[in-house]
Amino acid sequence: MKRHAVEIETLHERASATPDRQAPAPRPPGRPGVPASSIAEKAGDDDASLRSRQLRFAQGLMTPESSPGFLDATIAAKWLTAGPRMTALERFEIYRRGYHSRLIECLVDDYPATQHALGEPAFEDLCRAYIARFPSTGPSLNYFGRGMSGFVREGMPEPFSVRAFTADLTSLEWAIVEVIHAASDPPLTSDGLLRVPADGWATVRLDATPALRLLRFSHPVNDYFRAFRADESPAIPEPAASATVVYRSGPTIWRMDLTDPMVGVLSALVGGEPLGEALARAEASMSDLGEDEVALRVTTWFREWVGHGLFVRARW
Amino acid sequence: MTNRFGLPNLGVGLGLRSVHYAHVLRERPAVDWFEVLSENYMQTAGRPLHFLDAIADRYPIVLHGVSLSIGSTDPLDRAYLGELRALRDRTRARWVSDHLCWTGVAGRNTHDLLPLPYTEEALRHVVARVRAVQDVLGAPLALENPSTYVEHAGASMREWEFLARVAEDADCAILLDVNNVFVSACNHGFDPATYLAAVPFDRVVQFHVAGHTDHGTHIIDSHIGPVSDDVWRLLGQAYRKSGGASVLMEWDAEIPSFEVAHADALRAKEVILPPSPPS
Repeated sequence: MKRHAVEIETLHERASATPDRQAPAPRPPGRPGVPASSIAEKAGDDDASLRSRQLRFAQGLMTPESSPGFLDATIAAKWLTAGPRMTALERFEIYRRGYHSRLIECLVDDYPATQHALGEPAFEDLCRAYIARFPSTGPSLNYFGRGMSGFVREGMPEPFSVRAFTADLTSLEWAIVEVIHAASDPPLTSDGLLRVPADGWATVRLDATPALRLLRFSHPVNDYFRAFRADESPAIPEPAASATVVYRSGPTIWRMDLTDPMVGVLSALVGGEPLGEALARAEASMSDLGEDEVALRVTTWFREWVGHGLFVRARW
Repeated sequence: MTNRFGLPNLGVGLGLRSVHYAHVLRERPAVDWFEVLSENYMQTAGRPLHFLDAIADRYPIVLHGVSLSIGSTDPLDRAYLGELRALRDRTRARWVSDHLCWTGVAGRNTHDLLPLPYTEEALRHVVARVRAVQDVLGAPLALENPSTYVEHAGASMREWEFLARVAEDADCAILLDVNNVFVSACNHGFDPATYLAAVPFDRVVQFHVAGHTDHGTHIIDSHIGPVSDDVWRLLGQAYRKSGGASVLMEWDAEIPSFEVAHADALRAKEVILPPSPPS
């Protein structure tokens, strides 16, 4: 089983800086605009309270840059000041650009291969639509991109084949993010396994590390991701079923492709089934092989999985 | 003069950035202290904490937040404060800082440091919330002056007066970002010296410096590139007024190698150390 480490690359540190970005290029004619997200609570037109000022400012920020500003020049000049070289509206627009840029940068960090696959303009469109649909509600940006795969699957306005591939790829990339942030306990060692009594092997259950995600895809997205990381400029692949386990061992994130029988056994174990039942699944899925050959293969997989730290506990 | 809170002068530190984790742990560079972005280590139980724990075992840590949203009219996020306090305790952070701004409203977080209207209403609001936060932390909060690109019409005071009054009324500390003073001074057309003259320096426990980007019509607090000579000069003036406080350099985009970032941070020592006597 070949596994690949994921180099964690944060392109933009999530910090207190202001993204230094100019206004986006005008949208080509016919390109769909981004739907506006709105804040239900409205500011009174002449209300100068702190609450109303904040509601007005936030609504203006969150208006997509493809739309006219929520704050026009008159409203901006009423509530904000001009500077030595800029109007009130021009000054406000720095914040509107910053809002969208910061969140796009966050999604670029989470989904670099997806950005590569779609190309920067299309990926940015996708991000802007996502930001409008799922504005951040939490203090941390660590999980801001969590809904991207579902969003793509349900709503991405692309041909179906690209949408299915993109949904798969975003699932893989989000699994990497989840595994980065998931807790992990010390791995189960071979010494720990030696404590399983001889008559307990059929019923032993293994607890997988919480930093593990087992994924099935309709496209070979792990191959695509590996090629992207190797700067090979991969083309979007044809559909083909694949499965990948993503897990963290210490600080290192690993991806490992699995065959169908492997997926059957590993998903059974991760799902809490006893080892004996998982083995029976393997025998059923490899009925063309002899019992001894199946046992040999499963033992080999199992040894590797334990060695890689996929399990943290054995219970019997 | 040293700060009234008895917080130590940690020397010249650097903002800890994830691209430098491996270098810091492998080479153990002689950095006085690290500042970490609180929210990057909250709502996570994995890899970021793996590195932070190892680095906190070897270096003094200060927590610097961007989502406290001290000026928001939404209720204070008690869960956030609990997690912040737990992170402070876990890292044995010397103090906790955030910004004099608001970041969201109506349950939305913009993740930007948005300007407050400098009014009596906002002042009362912020002071009450700083006190509440300090009650949870059991320690003084350090508030940083933000860089701003626009101001609210109808303000009854300027930013430096607002900052000083919040600090005095809430009895909190100040993280004085001299780059932000410079950026805002250019964007709003005031003299940085006027700002510094109003700062209660006995409350300043830390300075920030950073690079910025000049667009001609305005300056962006981009944290890209080396610190400008203007900002170093401003740090020198502010440092002398404070009697000495911890200095930290932020570099957050187009982040260079650790050595390059650290070398720029160490320029602070030339600014804050008194010149050698003639031989």
